[in-house]
Amino acid sequence: MDQNQNCHKNNEFLFKVLIIGDVAVGKSSIMKRFAENVFDRKYGSTIGVDFKTKKLKLGGKAVKLQIWDTAGHERFRSITSAFYRGAHGIVLVYDVTRMETFTNIPKWLQELDLQDYNCTVKILFGNKSDLSSERDVPRETAFKYADSNNMFLFETSAKTGNSVNEAFEHLVSRMLVAFHEAESTATKPILSGDLSTCILSEQEKIIAGSGCSC
Amino acid sequence: MCIIVGDDKDFPTLRKRVQTSYLEAAHVKTNRMGITNFTVKKPLQNDEYAVIIEEGEEAHWEVVERVLFIYAKLNPGTSYVQGMNEIIGPLYYIFASDPDVKWREFAEPDSFFCFMNLMSEIRDFFIKTLDESAVGIGSSMEELMTILQDRDLQLWQSLSDQELKPQFYSFRWITVLLSQEFPLPDVIRLWDSLFADSQRFEFLIFVCCAMLIVIRDQLLEGDFATSMKLVQNYPVTDIHIILNKAMELRDPFKRMSQKVWKKSHKT
Repeated sequence: MDQNQNCHKNNEFLFKVLIIGDVAVGKSSIMKRFAENVFDRKYGSTIGVDFKTKKLKLGGKAVKLQIWDTAGHERFRSITSAFYRGAHGIVLVYDVTRMETFTNIPKWLQELDLQDYNCTVKILFGNKSDLSSERDVPRETAFKYADSNNMFLFETSAKTGNSVNEAFEHLVSRMLVAFHEAESTATKPILSGDLSTCILSEQEKIIAGSGCSC
Repeated sequence: MCIIVGDDKDFPTLRKRVQTSYLEAAHVKTNRMGITNFTVKKPLQNDEYAVIIEEGEEAHWEVVERVLFIYAKLNPGTSYVQGMNEIIGPLYYIFASDPDVKWREFAEPDSFFCFMNLMSEIRDFFIKTLDESAVGIGSSMEELMTILQDRDLQLWQSLSDQELKPQFYSFRWITVLLSQEFPLPDVIRLWDSLFADSQRFEFLIFVCCAMLIVIRDQLLEGDFATSMKLVQNYPVTDIHIILNKAMELRDPFKRMSQKVWKKSHKT
C-alpha cells in the first residue's frame, strides 16, 4: 500500500474501507453512488473485487478513502477475505426487501471475527430503502439489532442517493475518532475488543498520516 | 420420445422468439493507426430497460438464463457461480447475431453446446476448493507473476513494492477470460486467439502479462491507488498491441530468430 504519499501532509488521512454483504444487495451500486454519484441498474456481478477512491473533507480534515467493493457470492469468499487485511472501516450491506440478507449479517460479522478485525469501525447499511412497498426487514428490527451490536444503521438507497453520503460521512467521523483514540491509548494494553481500545498498527498510522515521524 | 416444441400452439417456438429483438455491441471504429475507438451512446434511462415483451416472445436474457440454469442443474457440484454469465455472453452474442437467419434460430442450443464445452475446460476457476490447487486460479495467478518476473523484472518489482497483488485484478481477468476488460468486439477477437491456443489456456496468462507490460510506464509511475485503478479499469488500447506483445512474451526466441533471419536475408 502507498505509505509515503501522505507522509508529509498534516491532517490528511487515508482510510481503507471494505464493502461486504450478500449477493445483489447493492454493494457496487452504493460504491458507485458514493464515489461518482451515479446509479445504473444494469451493473453486472462483481468478480473478486472492485476498487475506487474518494476524497472528502470532514471537520477540517482531508480524508482519502480507498473503497474496496467485494463480490458477495460464496465462491469468492476465500479470495475476498484476503482483502479484509488492514481495513479501517467495514460497510455491511443488506437489502431491506430481502430478509435473508439481513439474517446473514451475523455470519458476515463472524467472518470478520475470524479475520481478527474486531477493532475496525463497522457500519450497517439497509439498502434499497426506496422500494418501500417491497420492504421485508422492518425498521425497528434492524435498528434494534444494530443497537445491540454497537453499530450504526443507515437505511440507504443507492438508486435515489438517499442517506448514502451521510452514512459514509458518519463512518469517516467514527474512523477518525477511532484513530485518535487508538493513538492516545496506543501504549495501554488492550482489555477488550471494544472500539475505544482499538490500536492501529504502526504501518497504518503512517498510512493515516498524522502518526508520521518524518 | 421427442416432442416437437413448435407444434404446441400455446407454447411458441423459441427459435421465433430469439429473433424478435436485437443484440447490440459497442460501436467501434478502427482508424488508420489501427486504434479502435468506440462511440459512446447516450446511456439508456432506467425505464427504457423495461422493454415490453409481447405474449410468446422472450428476451435474450431469458434464453441465457435458461442455459445457465440447465448448466447449474447438470453440474450440481459447480452449480451457478457469478461470472459464468460473462462467459456465455459473447458466445450467445455470436450465435444470436449471425447474419444467416437460419443459423440464428439455433442460437440457444449452439451456445449451450459451446458453453458446456468451454466450461469443461475452465470450470476449475469457478471452484473455490480448487483455488490453491495446481489447476485452480491461485496457481494461474502465480504463473502470471512468475512470467512477469522473468520478462520484466522492474515492473514486477514495482508492483510488489506497491503491494498490488495479482488477486486484486488478475483474479477477474483469468476467471472470466478477460471478458469484462474490453469492449465486446475486442473480447471476440481476443477469444479467437485464446481458443486457438493448443495449450489452452496458457496463452491467456501471456495476454494478462502483456496487458501489464503494455501499460508499464503508467504502472511504474503510479502509487497503489492509481495503479489499482488502472488495472481495474484497463485503459482503451488496441487489442492487437496486446496480442502481439503476448505472442512475443510466449515465444521470445522464436521472435528473435525471425528478426535475425529477416536481417540476414536483407544483407
